[in-house]
Amino acid sequence: MAYLWIFILPIQLFWGHQTVSDIVKVKVPEAIVYAGKRSLIKVELEVKNGYHIQANKTKDEFIIPTTLEIKTYEGIRVERTVFPPANKFQLEGTNTYLDVYDGVFSIIITVQTNRNIQRQRHVLQAKLNYQACDNQRCLMPKTIEFSIQVEVK
Amino acid sequence: MKTLLFSLYWIVLTCLPNLVYAQQEQPMIGQIAPAFTLTGLDGKTYSLEQLKGKYVVIHFATTWCPFCNAEAPYLEQLHQAYRDKGVQVLIIDIKEDRDLIEKWLQRFNFSFPVLLDENGAISTKYAPEGVQPDLARHEVPIASNLIIDKESKIRFYSLLNTTNFDAKLVKLKQELDELLSNEK
Repeated sequence: MAYLWIFILPIQLFWGHQTVSDIVKVKVPEAIVYAGKRSLIKVELEVKNGYHIQANKTKDEFIIPTTLEIKTYEGIRVERTVFPPANKFQLEGTNTYLDVYDGVFSIIITVQTNRNIQRQRHVLQAKLNYQACDNQRCLMPKTIEFSIQVEVK
Repeated sequence: MKTLLFSLYWIVLTCLPNLVYAQQEQPMIGQIAPAFTLTGLDGKTYSLEQLKGKYVVIHFATTWCPFCNAEAPYLEQLHQAYRDKGVQVLIIDIKEDRDLIEKWLQRFNFSFPVLLDENGAISTKYAPEGVQPDLARHEVPIASNLIIDKESKIRFYSLLNTTNFDAKLVKLKQELDELLSNEK
């Protein structure tokens, strides 16, 4: 009998009360780039199970897209930020589809470093803006501030 | 036995908030609606007290809320269909800039008042106790619809449920029709 509860307990914990903190988790592995070269930096995002966030490109001007801002940094220029293709989310009972992200996905940033930049670790400051919904609520837009460690070689 | 009791304890503890929510799918029914006095986008002041004697339909919205935007044309239709039956439709916008709401209004061209809950105080009052306790209270009513009767009692309160989304306001209209037909 006791074994039965070992299985039920985690299910109950999972379906029980969840908090809205950490709806989106950001993970940035340290990036290695080369002075004077173009490099890619990967930002990994994980959207909490049951939630979705609006995609980077939205069809509706009022929907708040997911965006990534990187503060200007001497010697490292952000050239391009590429978001993944969006998933479709249908608003039930309507013909409206939203472009959303859920689960785990990555944003790829292309940076160009100056040739004379110091060969050492640099820290870029970044902000991720998003608006999340689950099946019972839409939350106010949020911003996560985080840093990206860039090792220049 | 100890394991069983321990497990039961955890089940109750972890599921209680969800059970409370399930029970309150239509919360605050029969309660006197929280009073409000808010400025509309048209610059006029609107209060629930002024609207006593009418049925008041309130939709809590934000411009970025996809479910609010999906309902918006149907709210206008509702207003057109019920305006002469003693029903006042209102949108209460939660914590947004006037400029943004004005731009939003241009899209939907509402012919009923859009009120500004600039600091979220009124939305907070309409957040049912115990529902979604992890949210900031002003966030709870986003995309909700209410019917308040002529004596200011809440007769209908639908919180957002995207898996059973009623963009066309079918259930709200059914309730409104029933209230109106009971008057005759």
